[in-house]
Amino acid sequence: MSGNHLYVYGVVEAEDLELDVEGVEGASPVRTVDHRTLSAVVTDIDDMEPERTDENAQAHDRVLRAVLDHEGGRTVVPMQFGMTFKGARELKNVLRSGRRAFTKALRDVDGGVERGVKLVADEGVDLDPERVEAEVAEWLDGLAVESVANDRYSDRLVLNRSYLVLREETEAFETAVDDLEDVYDGVTVKQSGPFAPYSFVDIRIGAQ
Amino acid sequence: MATQTPGSASLAEVLDRILDKGVVIDVWARVSVVGIEILTVEARVVVASVDTFLTYASEISKIEQASQTGDMDELSDLEIETTAAREHSQDVERAQMGIASE
Repeated sequence: MSGNHLYVYGVVEAEDLELDVEGVEGASPVRTVDHRTLSAVVTDIDDMEPERTDENAQAHDRVLRAVLDHEGGRTVVPMQFGMTFKGARELKNVLRSGRRAFTKALRDVDGGVERGVKLVADEGVDLDPERVEAEVAEWLDGLAVESVANDRYSDRLVLNRSYLVLREETEAFETAVDDLEDVYDGVTVKQSGPFAPYSFVDIRIGAQ
Repeated sequence: MATQTPGSASLAEVLDRILDKGVVIDVWARVSVVGIEILTVEARVVVASVDTFLTYASEISKIEQASQTGDMDELSDLEIETTAAREHSQDVERAQMGIASE
């Protein structure tokens, strides 16, 4: 399956990669387009605007996780869904212009993966979210490089955070999160990931 | 039908991330090479709320203005203004919560 355009999943340090993973719109293989010190992880695509189907969403994430896990692990700066480029020239142009920002972002998330942690209170269990946040910070922050708060879209969702965790710390982190179940009565702990560090990069590139 | 591999994330968790977060590149920068200017903004350099950032930005511009005009005296007023504004907003908050300001 091939097309004229390029769907971009993320940016890694310059490396020729070819991964046998199914990407957005069922495209494979996953390969790289390089510019100097950076490589963009791409698949070919026909449509500049791929549909936001569940399959495509999972495919975007699946490719990034395959890159994260590749041969002992890679650091990747993930793109938001839908970053399709007209062609390699346009992509290389962005890699060139954004090189400093991409390089800094790669350094910021170096060796890291994103983990999600949610604490959901059982019905009728009353917990102070601020207190929980402080207690969980004491419990987990030492095992993470950084963390950010996500939207608490329900009162029962007493904690919703993303953590940037170094690959070698992931097991210790997972265990510590599991142990949170014993710290609180009437709370369900949900952890998710590993994800590419979506919540820990913030680059916006515009054109004028 | 794709089966869920071990470690694969729930769709909701994936959507939360890939639709709201990650690097965003304007469509014009993705379809053309000629005559585009790439701007990069690293909004998360300092983890700060938008309010904090706006306050910071406006204070910085006041400092810049003051140093340009050589009028540094005005700067000492800034602190007082902000403190007064904060006390006022606390009063309003107390009033809203039905607590009288002592």
